Amino acid sequence: MTLTQHIWLPLVAATALATSMAAAQDTTLSYMMWDPEQLEAERAAIAEFEASNPGVTVEALAMPPEDYWPRLSALAAAGDLPDVFAMSSGFVQSWAEAGNLADLTGLITDEQLAQYYDSAASVGVIGDARVAFPQNWVAPVMYYNIDMFDAAGVEHPQADWTWDDFLAAAQALTVDEDEDGTPEQYGMWLYGRYSHIEPWIFRNGGRLLNDDMTALDPSPEAVNALEFLTSLVNEHGVAPAPAEMEGIRQQDVFPLGMAAMWVDGSWNIANVRDIAGDSFQWGIAQVPVGPDATEETARAYAWADMLAIATNSEQPDLAWDFIQHMVGEGRTASDFLGGKIPAFQAIAESEAWLEADMQPANKGLLLEIGTQPVETGFSRDWSAWRGYAASGSGGMNGELDEVFNGRSELDEAIENFVAYGNDVLTR
Amino acid sequence: MTPAWRRYAPALIFLLPALVGLAVFRLVPILWSFVLSFYDWQIFDQPSFTGLDNYIHILTSPVSGQVLRNTAVFALIYVPGSIALSLVLASVLNNALRSSAFFRSALFLPYITSTVAVTLAWKWIFSTRFGLLNNALAALGIDAAPAWLADPTYALPAVAIVSIWKDVGFYMILLLAGLQTIDPTYYEAARIDGARVVRRFFRITVPLLSRSLFFVLIIAMVRSTQTFEITYALTEGGPNRSSTTLAYFIYENAFIHFQMGYAAALAYILCFLLGLLTLVNFYFRRRWVHE
Amino acid sequence: MNRRVSGPGALLALYGFLVVYAALSLMPFAWMLITSFKEQAALFQLPPSFRPSLLFTDTPMANYSVIWNERNFVTFFRNSAFVSFMAAIGQVFTCALAGYAFARLPLPGKNVIFAIILATAFVPTEVTIIPEFLLMRGFGWLDTFLPLIVPSFLVGAFGTFMLREYFASLPHDYAEAARMDGAREFRIFWRIYLPLAQPALISVFVIAFINNWDELLRPLLYLTSPDLYTVPLGLLSFVSQYEAAWGQLMAGSVISTLPLIIIYVLTQRYVLAGFSGGGVKG
Repeated sequence: MTLTQHIWLPLVAATALATSMAAAQDTTLSYMMWDPEQLEAERAAIAEFEASNPGVTVEALAMPPEDYWPRLSALAAAGDLPDVFAMSSGFVQSWAEAGNLADLTGLITDEQLAQYYDSAASVGVIGDARVAFPQNWVAPVMYYNIDMFDAAGVEHPQADWTWDDFLAAAQALTVDEDEDGTPEQYGMWLYGRYSHIEPWIFRNGGRLLNDDMTALDPSPEAVNALEFLTSLVNEHGVAPAPAEMEGIRQQDVFPLGMAAMWVDGSWNIANVRDIAGDSFQWGIAQVPVGPDATEETARAYAWADMLAIATNSEQPDLAWDFIQHMVGEGRTASDFLGGKIPAFQAIAESEAWLEADMQPANKGLLLEIGTQPVETGFSRDWSAWRGYAASGSGGMNGELDEVFNGRSELDEAIENFVAYGNDVLTR
Repeated sequence: MTPAWRRYAPALIFLLPALVGLAVFRLVPILWSFVLSFYDWQIFDQPSFTGLDNYIHILTSPVSGQVLRNTAVFALIYVPGSIALSLVLASVLNNALRSSAFFRSALFLPYITSTVAVTLAWKWIFSTRFGLLNNALAALGIDAAPAWLADPTYALPAVAIVSIWKDVGFYMILLLAGLQTIDPTYYEAARIDGARVVRRFFRITVPLLSRSLFFVLIIAMVRSTQTFEITYALTEGGPNRSSTTLAYFIYENAFIHFQMGYAAALAYILCFLLGLLTLVNFYFRRRWVHE
Repeated sequence: MNRRVSGPGALLALYGFLVVYAALSLMPFAWMLITSFKEQAALFQLPPSFRPSLLFTDTPMANYSVIWNERNFVTFFRNSAFVSFMAAIGQVFTCALAGYAFARLPLPGKNVIFAIILATAFVPTEVTIIPEFLLMRGFGWLDTFLPLIVPSFLVGAFGTFMLREYFASLPHDYAEAARMDGAREFRIFWRIYLPLAQPALISVFVIAFINNWDELLRPLLYLTSPDLYTVPLGLLSFVSQYEAAWGQLMAGSVISTLPLIIIYVLTQRYVLAGFSGGGVKG
């Protein structure tokens, strides 16, 4: 018996009794997710579900991620989780191990499953059980400024680019016209952030974690990728030290025209459109494959946003119907803003989602990534060892920034973040 | 009814609402979370008892040492800085410009303006290439100005300065209320003696305000250990943890990693240290507060 | 009564200092105001522009009208005002009683009780909030205003501390005189000391009101129905998974700061009209 149950059992029992007595024939399905703007887009789909299920009301609630998780966690502690809720790739393992996620394995047929991106659907399988189902997925890509490439006479990024090709382009794209030592235009922009670094590691066949994801143990391929990225800043000067860009939102450096290339998540498509407007032409490309990777070991970096059903839901079947509606045919392309790729292939491949009239002109490139073998790189306590969100200054992120800012050596930084990460993971 | 009961009854009746609130809404959650500090509890998971593990881990982890040091440095800038500034502002407003509603409101504005909104402005002030500060320094001929928020030497002081700026209006109104209890005749007497402004300030205002000052000191101490939002918006506790204070670290563990047992243990270590400091303060209080 | 600083030099120096510091205080607010009149695309241009670009378009109030029309902001305002007012009034009342008892009334061990109240302020909310949430759930108070009002209504460490100091600093002889006349403790408190404590009471009210108005974590955990949302909670709907609508967020911040400014300006007149009034009306 848990601590909370121990103290509150009598009260909980009384509340449950009162609730069951008050229940009428009408059913309410509670649904919680982490994007208020997205929820507005989903209202139509929700209304449609209510219309085809008379007597069912969906009580939908949305708040941004940094508020969503504390609230959802509090509800889990109280045993009051909503019937259906959004689940991230980063948390799915911990939440499944905590027993909060209902097993969906038997509910979906192979035929249905084939309609979804396999790499996205596989993220929700923990152990032998399918505990969450993808709604959309996202993946880091390389953004590039077409105008800058053309002005420098550099060939646009190609699928078979090597690291050397990339470096040569970055050097040609770094421009210091007034020769004050601070280029007005950099070839590349990066810092220690997961979506800036891991794409290079995974595309070089590298791993940060050991096989069962219980400890940090960077492979030689990962270390090589980190060395290459460090050289971009410290040796070749084709990317600024993060300190130089302090005060500018990291996602604005590329759209403000300060760097010609940038690797970050596909969700930034919306922000680049907002900030850059029509000021220049830009496109997206795959992150170059590293020299250590083979066809078998190279991985794309991608992860899925999913929906899950609470273990304590009293209407798992209705909840599953709702999830199916919300991840599949109930949706339209316009529900998936910017760089979120629908997990349901029919929508992802539709003309409407490809948005041919908007930048980037080659959005279909994202769909290719969905067919590649992917790595999510998440583990228990990932946010702590990686340095994510409010922890962004710590862990691996913080140590790598010290290297890029020239205050620390890479081998020392690796030693530090491995030691810290393993300390966190054994806690 | 015994005479003792009759004697103490008024105090008990006066204290009743506060005592009920204290017991139910403060002590229950506090004791509960204290118990949880001996558990491994990720909020969405079942708690499991781990004895002193959380405390041992904290006391042996190198990160905690750095975080404690940052907390102390932050407090050493924030507490004296905010008290000195608010004292000066309060006495200036009280003495010279009583009628100036404009200044009173202007100085209080930072305290009531949304933290996220104001720190966006400060982020721009400290920005390396486009910042107001570095552009001003460049105009003065200083070109090698640091990247304030990305430099381990300056990040924590910068966060402390913005925190002082944000809170000074709050302390100022507490001190203004205290200044109202000072009988004007003291000043009249001093004026007849020909005492100068600065002398009057240290000979009359400070001693007679010592109760309020002590109160502000305790509050400033507490707040110096609870800073979160400003740090988050300015530096995320960086670079490489150099501006991570204990309160920030507690928030991270509680609401980013959801390690509530661990966060609770951190919090009770903080409380223990604060408790010690407060006891020291109350000891010295007898010596300098005018009863 | 005259307490003015003598000499034009000193006055000039004071004014100079005040003007500079006031400018520093106003600047971020001005920035927020300007930003609330910008389009999303213009927000993060570099070097930053101080031109409220929307004012020169056909829809100068675009960000404000989204806030006002698309969300139920009037309701959020009413909710925030109700919650903050109730909590602040309650806190003033409870803390005044407690502060008076601690400062003036005999009770063995009262310093220990006071120390406990003060010590509770040292425990960070982050670690007590989940137990508090489970407690409120046990009371059946979820999705009501009760968890936002009742705890602040009943305890406030700062308020108690401040009023204890304040009551202790007031002259003792009034009470002695009244007791000679046979007045009861509550009457002495209510008719003599409470009016004298006006500056401190108002300060406690203002601070409590502001703190409750800005509170986000508790409304976030306790409120579910949009009808009950407070202003900070309502503003969250302008933040999405990856990006915030900053122009609208700033417009919302400006609107939600206005009531606080008004309350402060109105009440401060009374803070400064406190003890200096001189005579005691008993």
